[in-house]
Amino acid sequence: MENNFDFVLIAKLLPTLLQYLPVTFEILVFSILFGMVIGIMLAIPKLLHIPVLKQIITIYISFIRGTPILVQLFLVFYGVPAILKLIHIDVTRMDAMYFVIITYTLSNAAAFAEIFRAAILTVDNGQMEAAYSVGLNGPQAFMRIVFPQAIRVAFPNIANTMISSLKDTSLAFSIGVMDMVGRGETLIASTTRALEIYVALSIVYFVIVMVLEKIFKFNERYFNRYMPKEIATH
Amino acid sequence: MTIDIAFVLEALREISKVIPLTLFMTFTPVFLGIVIGIIVAFVRMKQIKFVTPLLNLYVSFFRGTPIIMHIMLVYFGLPLIVDGVANTFHLAIQSSSIPILFFVILALTFSAGAYASEIIRSGILSVPKGQLEAAYAIGLTFTQAMRRYILPQAFGKSIPNFTNVFIGFLHATSLAFFLSIKELTGVANIVASVNLKFLEAFIAVGIIYWSISIMTEWISHLIEKRVTAYSKSGL
Repeated sequence: MENNFDFVLIAKLLPTLLQYLPVTFEILVFSILFGMVIGIMLAIPKLLHIPVLKQIITIYISFIRGTPILVQLFLVFYGVPAILKLIHIDVTRMDAMYFVIITYTLSNAAAFAEIFRAAILTVDNGQMEAAYSVGLNGPQAFMRIVFPQAIRVAFPNIANTMISSLKDTSLAFSIGVMDMVGRGETLIASTTRALEIYVALSIVYFVIVMVLEKIFKFNERYFNRYMPKEIATH
Repeated sequence: MTIDIAFVLEALREISKVIPLTLFMTFTPVFLGIVIGIIVAFVRMKQIKFVTPLLNLYVSFFRGTPIIMHIMLVYFGLPLIVDGVANTFHLAIQSSSIPILFFVILALTFSAGAYASEIIRSGILSVPKGQLEAAYAIGLTFTQAMRRYILPQAFGKSIPNFTNVFIGFLHATSLAFFLSIKELTGVANIVASVNLKFLEAFIAVGIIYWSISIMTEWISHLIEKRVTAYSKSGL
């Protein structure tokens, strides 16, 4: 095997790999959206201290946080068809993409549930009382007073979850999804140029993460626009 | 669907044999990573020309790419470097004689170094500047002040973050499965394919990871209590 590192090959490979970037984004966007919805639903019982439900959700979150995403992928990949078989639905021919989105949704939901819960708890109770005293009802007070303050606290954590979720999508290929890494694997099989391909993939991930971080920084400033400037932070 | 509970137990017994290897693969990179992290954090705070930008790139690259990429880059990249050096200096080292485990641990170490450096940096920044000034005022040098006042406080505040990194890297060792290392996930896969019971084997390995993670959190909570016993902060 020729052992020279081929820089030109990286440039040649990048366009091919980038064609599969939409698949990565598809996984990311769906899992974040569904994850947020489920995350909110999971946070509510914990905030309202609903017995039984609260404990179940705590165990669920602990399990998701305590196991590698790779194991979760395999559990969903083998577990969901087995559960659906009970109600006589055959999904053995289902696209692996759905399993990936389900896994990342479940994983993100646990992360978001904790983020939302913590963020809402940081908003002082007096805010809610003040809102009531000026005649707002419960939903109004939450949407207009508590939520905007909570999202400010939650946003950096949401951004971090999105970025680590993006990095986690690199494992989707392990159950046979043709995303960027999956395409990279097939290219390795045909060109035997593993290092160049992994360098190209790393560059793509790195650039996306850097761009996302810039965008999130900008947004963070927007959410903090009403905060008094502190003088003595550093 | 019938989950074979007996097989889950058997898989648990089979898979738990490699817990020591997995713990070794977690502890070594995290420990070495903390050492790298301390060095990197201090150099980055010093603003040295060329070195600081380079380290900034190191940290942001490793934090900005998936860990599986680090493992693959080291696995495919290091042999080229080793063979290249061996050829030019006519050394009798061959990359093929390096065990795969070494590549994984090295990759995880680089990765852990980047994450640890950020934690240490934020830990040091979280200690009020007045502490350092107070140490100077009573005649301590920078090193003394760091060692006796700043670092102990910084570490106390960083314990939850280090716990997350430890658990994160425990989970990251599951990626070594792609290089067919027989750690928890690798063995689970073998047990699963031999008996054709995938769900049961992955349930078993999930339980093992979960237990180790919970125990880690529990231990870290105890350590945190002890370390921060003397720091009464807040109201």
